[in-house]
Amino acid sequence: MSWKDKTDELNARRTAALAQGGEEAVAKQHAKGRLTIRERIDTLIDADSFDEVGRAAGDAEFDEAGDLIEFTPANFVLGFAKIDGRRVVVGGEDFTMRGGSPTTAGFRKSVYAETVALKHRLPLVRMHEGAGGSVGIQKNPTPPAPVFDPPRFRTVAQTLGSVPVASAAMGAVAGLPAARLVSSHFSVMSEETAQILIAGPAVVARAMGEKLTKEELGGAKVHARNGTVDNAAKNEVAALEQIKTFLSYMPSNVWELPPVTQTDDPVDRQEDMLLDIVPHDRRRAFDMRRVIAAVFDIGSFFEMGKGYGRSQIMGLARMNGQPVGVWGNDGRHLAGAMTAEGAHKARRFMELCETFHLPIICLIDEPGFMIGSQSEKQATIRHGAAAVLTAAMTNVPWASVMVRRSFGVAQAAHYGPDAYVIAWPSAETGPLPVEGGVWVAYRREIESAADPDAKRRELEDMLAVKQSPFPRAEAFAIHELIDPRETRPMLCRWIDRAQPLLPQLLGPSGFALRP
Amino acid sequence: MATEVELETAGTVWKLLVKDGSAVKEGDMLFIMEVMKMEVPYEAPHDGTVKDLNIAEGDVLEEGDIAMEIS
Repeated sequence: MSWKDKTDELNARRTAALAQGGEEAVAKQHAKGRLTIRERIDTLIDADSFDEVGRAAGDAEFDEAGDLIEFTPANFVLGFAKIDGRRVVVGGEDFTMRGGSPTTAGFRKSVYAETVALKHRLPLVRMHEGAGGSVGIQKNPTPPAPVFDPPRFRTVAQTLGSVPVASAAMGAVAGLPAARLVSSHFSVMSEETAQILIAGPAVVARAMGEKLTKEELGGAKVHARNGTVDNAAKNEVAALEQIKTFLSYMPSNVWELPPVTQTDDPVDRQEDMLLDIVPHDRRRAFDMRRVIAAVFDIGSFFEMGKGYGRSQIMGLARMNGQPVGVWGNDGRHLAGAMTAEGAHKARRFMELCETFHLPIICLIDEPGFMIGSQSEKQATIRHGAAAVLTAAMTNVPWASVMVRRSFGVAQAAHYGPDAYVIAWPSAETGPLPVEGGVWVAYRREIESAADPDAKRRELEDMLAVKQSPFPRAEAFAIHELIDPRETRPMLCRWIDRAQPLLPQLLGPSGFALRP
Repeated sequence: MATEVELETAGTVWKLLVKDGSAVKEGDMLFIMEVMKMEVPYEAPHDGTVKDLNIAEGDVLEEGDIAMEIS
């Protein structure tokens, strides 16, 4: 006897699964300008590469005769796929059913996303839209999890030390999915469609008396500027494009090296604009992103976290095809000083580079920790010390380019162990910038002078000379003092020397990234 | 091409170097802000003409304010 009647039923269930929440629910999703989870997956991955896991998971309803009336698929779609030819695990909540709030099988599939990525040592991409638990009565309630189950977030934490995890907020993401969203190496939100919320407006209004919309509570204007997500993108498609770009710098896991690509950019390219980009006037800021664009492989810089901790510039780039972490200071923001936010951003960046064995290249113009009452209230010294100690404990190769200022305790975060240190003639270094220190050290002398202002300026000029990089070069306190135009050739030669060291570092690092 | 020149940070306009209708080349300095005792220059993103000039020396501006348009 054939099993055809059963395979027919199976096929009917598969067709029902592809219909997601049904025509009406899908139309509603589209009317709000949002894609369905299956459309998101198709947008992200190479054509026809989706290899779904758990297609038969869901809830079935039968009539009295035992025939199938309705099959409701699990509301988390999961599977293997390829992005730019490389295998990944992808998944996301299906908002067209129960608003993404997990069904029994949907919850199991979402948990399995991390498990399967760990088992196969593959990058994980999660596209989130949905809420967490609900107090509503479920049709088929799941009994509470057994007391001996491992903590729900254990595999989420383990992925961060093992495989690249990239996540996107596509619609409203609240509760559990919001925690999963930020438990990633790179997160991005769609400006047009996403909000990220611990709890939505109704819960907030009831508990706190605050009457706010979802957008006011957790839109991109809030969360792309406070570090909740790394980046914002105009819409869902642009957000997925950023995830593809991020993954292009990443190895598949910590046991493999980041992928080196071919580049046409000559290793000896020298840009004349670097010779005069740093103004002689020490109060005049310059654009560090122009230095980055001139030094790294053309067009290869991918900035992360531009919206917060803005005095520190972080991102990924390539140097002669080798993926590297890039860290610069932005003197146009708070003079480039390290704030609590900037220090948090720096710590996460270093943890990312250490986890995936990406060499770090620093372009330094660091005046020190941010000072003043606001900075004290933000506990900047604690966050700053965390960044400094993270740098001190890394094992990846570092190259630190002293472009301009390198002052105080904060500068120590810009030099890893055995850093290759090169300085431009514009470099200044010391315990604190002359303008800050001169008054403290020479107060009596300045006050007793006939013209205190002139005396102060005279002392500042005299001390500024002492902060020049030439004595440091003479003392072999730096490796090289260079013409700024030589930066790319020098760093390309350094990366060529550093590459053979990378295989020795493979495997889990001493510390992984924490959100 | 028309581009709005947007303030990256709050601060005070220290020097304004162009007028409505000024022709500028890419990289020309448009104005200099004073931010945290640092001078932060803003440059023309591309060749063009200054339009809708919205700032004057001494103005205290907020992040996100539009200083002018280059079209």
